[in-house]
Amino acid sequence: MKEVRTIKERVYSRYLQKKGASKLSDWKNILTQLTTSEGKAEALDDMMVLDLSYANFSGNVTASFLAEAGAEVINIEPPEGDPSRIMSPYGANVKGVGIPYLMESRNKRQITLDLESPEGQDNLKRLVKRADILIETYAPGQMDAWGIGYRQLRELNPGLIYIAISPYGHYTAKGREMAEMPWTDLTSQAESGLAALVGDLPDAPEPYNWPTRAGFYAAGYTSAVGAACGGLVASFFKRRTGEGQMIDIATADAYASCVGFPPTIGYVWKKPRLRYGTLDYGLCPYGFFKCQDGYVAIACFRDQDFRAALKLLGQWKIEEEWKTLLDRITDDIEKVKELNSVVEKAVSKFTYKQINEKFASYSVKAAGSKWRGGGLPVTTKMMTPDEVLQEEHWQTRGTFPKIAHSSYGIVTLPTTGKMTKTPLRVKWISANIGEDNDYVFEKYGLVKK
Amino acid sequence: MTEDYFNFTDKLFAREDIDKKAEALKGIRVLDLSHMIFGPTAAKTLAQYGAEVIKVEVPNQGDYWRGGTYWGKYWKHSNPLWHFINPGKYFVGIDVKKPKGKDLILQLAAKADVIIENFTSGTVEAWGIGYSQVSKINPKVIYASLSTYGQFGPRRYAPGWDLLAQGASGVLSVTGYPDTDKYFKVPDFFGDFFPAYYAAMLIFIALNYRERSGEGQYIDGCQAEILMRTLSHFTYHDATGESLGRTGNMDPTMSPSGIFKTRDGKFVAVAIATDKQFQSFCKALGRDDLAENDTYKKAASRLKRENALALNKVLEEWVITKDVQELSGLARKHRFAAAEVMDDVQISQDKWREERGSAILFEDDMYKKLLVEGPIAMLSKTPGRIKWLTRPLGYHNRYVFKKILGLTEDQIKDLEKERVVGTWDYRVGQRPPIYHDLSKDRMFNYEGGEDH
Repeated sequence: MKEVRTIKERVYSRYLQKKGASKLSDWKNILTQLTTSEGKAEALDDMMVLDLSYANFSGNVTASFLAEAGAEVINIEPPEGDPSRIMSPYGANVKGVGIPYLMESRNKRQITLDLESPEGQDNLKRLVKRADILIETYAPGQMDAWGIGYRQLRELNPGLIYIAISPYGHYTAKGREMAEMPWTDLTSQAESGLAALVGDLPDAPEPYNWPTRAGFYAAGYTSAVGAACGGLVASFFKRRTGEGQMIDIATADAYASCVGFPPTIGYVWKKPRLRYGTLDYGLCPYGFFKCQDGYVAIACFRDQDFRAALKLLGQWKIEEEWKTLLDRITDDIEKVKELNSVVEKAVSKFTYKQINEKFASYSVKAAGSKWRGGGLPVTTKMMTPDEVLQEEHWQTRGTFPKIAHSSYGIVTLPTTGKMTKTPLRVKWISANIGEDNDYVFEKYGLVKK
Repeated sequence: MTEDYFNFTDKLFAREDIDKKAEALKGIRVLDLSHMIFGPTAAKTLAQYGAEVIKVEVPNQGDYWRGGTYWGKYWKHSNPLWHFINPGKYFVGIDVKKPKGKDLILQLAAKADVIIENFTSGTVEAWGIGYSQVSKINPKVIYASLSTYGQFGPRRYAPGWDLLAQGASGVLSVTGYPDTDKYFKVPDFFGDFFPAYYAAMLIFIALNYRERSGEGQYIDGCQAEILMRTLSHFTYHDATGESLGRTGNMDPTMSPSGIFKTRDGKFVAVAIATDKQFQSFCKALGRDDLAENDTYKKAASRLKRENALALNKVLEEWVITKDVQELSGLARKHRFAAAEVMDDVQISQDKWREERGSAILFEDDMYKKLLVEGPIAMLSKTPGRIKWLTRPLGYHNRYVFKKILGLTEDQIKDLEKERVVGTWDYRVGQRPPIYHDLSKDRMFNYEGGEDH
């Protein structure tokens, strides 16, 4: 691998020495700037965010994203705490705090307010006057009934950006009808068309052919990134006009609106897709195949990539039958299985290292040659999270900072968002109930009972 | 008497008012040099909120996703799954490998606020249109390079896409049933779409910063790393010393939870998130004994593997005795989360999504009716919207070159002759639908003057 990498760098460097290409030193300078966040500005350090998320993890994550970009995020919980604290795989926790909650407690301030009491509401209003963004996940209408909904708070602060996250949203007839339905990631996956597509082929035994959950908060994180994008667009508008607004996210839909395939496919083809196991609706081969020491990706999109893969896997004899992309994106599942099994058999003879070296050196030669029809076969090995943590590449990039906390010890968590001027970063974690009450109450002049 | 809350919000988000409302990103110009899904979707997000996005493709070849589709099924000489990834953009065909083509791209780059590319690390630098070149002529630019492994680190030159990012990030290894040899990928290129929205978020952060400081910057959007951001498995591993692995169709953070078959052969997902929800769930079940059982009362104990599995069994045996309608009714009455597993057709016919604006039956000048996704986030004052679906390769050449670069018709004709700029060839996905009369198309034959 090391040797292949060096050859590849040489090939690319040669391009960079061509007339009109950039100076290698200029490019290297920029890359060096990406490697650290030390001493750099924070993009949102003039922004104050109130996070009222309750039993809905997408709210916590939305606030995290903004906190990593420098916003002052105050997490407001009832005195007994947010139930999300213990939503954790098999209940795993560190001193009573669940793993997902711990991971998303980055750069936040933790305070407690009883929003059902007049004192709590008054304190919230004091904060709202100073705030740019408020995030809430209560049942639609609940905050309004408490007298602290969007239409009341916008009177106090016309620049407030009010982000509401709920399963079916704060408007439409269904939003009203389903207002009391609680959030979960699993039901959001089901409702948004994800679960229907994950699972083994129809002829596989039960329950393996049933709809299956993507093994992480796929719907929750999608809702969160959508909410953060909306909040930042609104904040950009506020910087230009001073105006705030309300933003509505429906977690039962967010995933479908993110990937976009389910509505358009249902409309155009009038036929739902079935679960497709490890096959792919769009391409063949496009998947991970079992090799002698793990699983390896074979993904060929262009015809030249497919030809290259066939040559490298020693399967050139079938090229005629599967020549063009149109041959390989058929809806005939038997044909797909046939091509898939050829690749499966071929791959099973090799180790990952063998395949990777063949593929890498081929693509290096193709990149170096003047003949542009050579194809670019790509591959990688399926990594488990434990293996990912060990990889040099992510260690170099600083993907997994280890953050110390007096109660929880050292916590490892993923972060990403490398930028030359205002990179995202994790500065601290704060996850005890009311951990920052003193700091926040004092700083913003809140009243203690 | 205050107005009913939903009457208030229904007006606040009324769909018929959207086109009258302001656009947050009006006046922001984006140069979209990307292809396939990851980059184009990030650029689409900016277009949705009002930015002017100019998508640059190679003449007679174009974005490869133009010619891709599922199951080989095309629609009006196009890939139906391409329209919702690139709506509302301006399409120009410029050959970057020709020196004059590179100059045209640099001229556009000089006038851009945001530039997005998603080639393998180093490619745009080699072409002479990377950040190191563009920042010299446009220091305020926000330049986002999106790639599978990022711009630095030992694997930076390795190419990849959705599938590889899912494999390299650990995402692939967490979906499926334990003790089987199958790992299911998250379908529909989640490994492109989620990172695309995340990259858009980084661009919005940079735009906010530029508004404050006047400074542009360079963004390294790393697809695999962004996928890792969604996994709690790393923190779990280091905190417990164990691996979470695959967990089938249950959610181990909620107990009970799972996707089960109903009496009428449908599938329903049920998950109980809080102690309060568990109490009312037990009422629906008619199982006071479970509600009072100390093993299950509190989440910390209920979530333990053996307890969760036992409750999941109870749930599964209960679900099979009910029809899906009955179950939904019980869930609403008792306020616990249950949802039918929705397929493509159900989603496309869902009245709620249509009313909400999450799925839009768009009437396009060229392609006529198509149902496409709406935005994830609905903004009351500056809502996202679709202005047109996609257009053929190079369709906006005249509009962009005349209006933005000030070229004359003769200059464009010369560039066409030299094959520096161009449009489509015969292949599916690049050309307009057969019924479209180009000779009468004023945008395609743009002469100057009025706005689009």
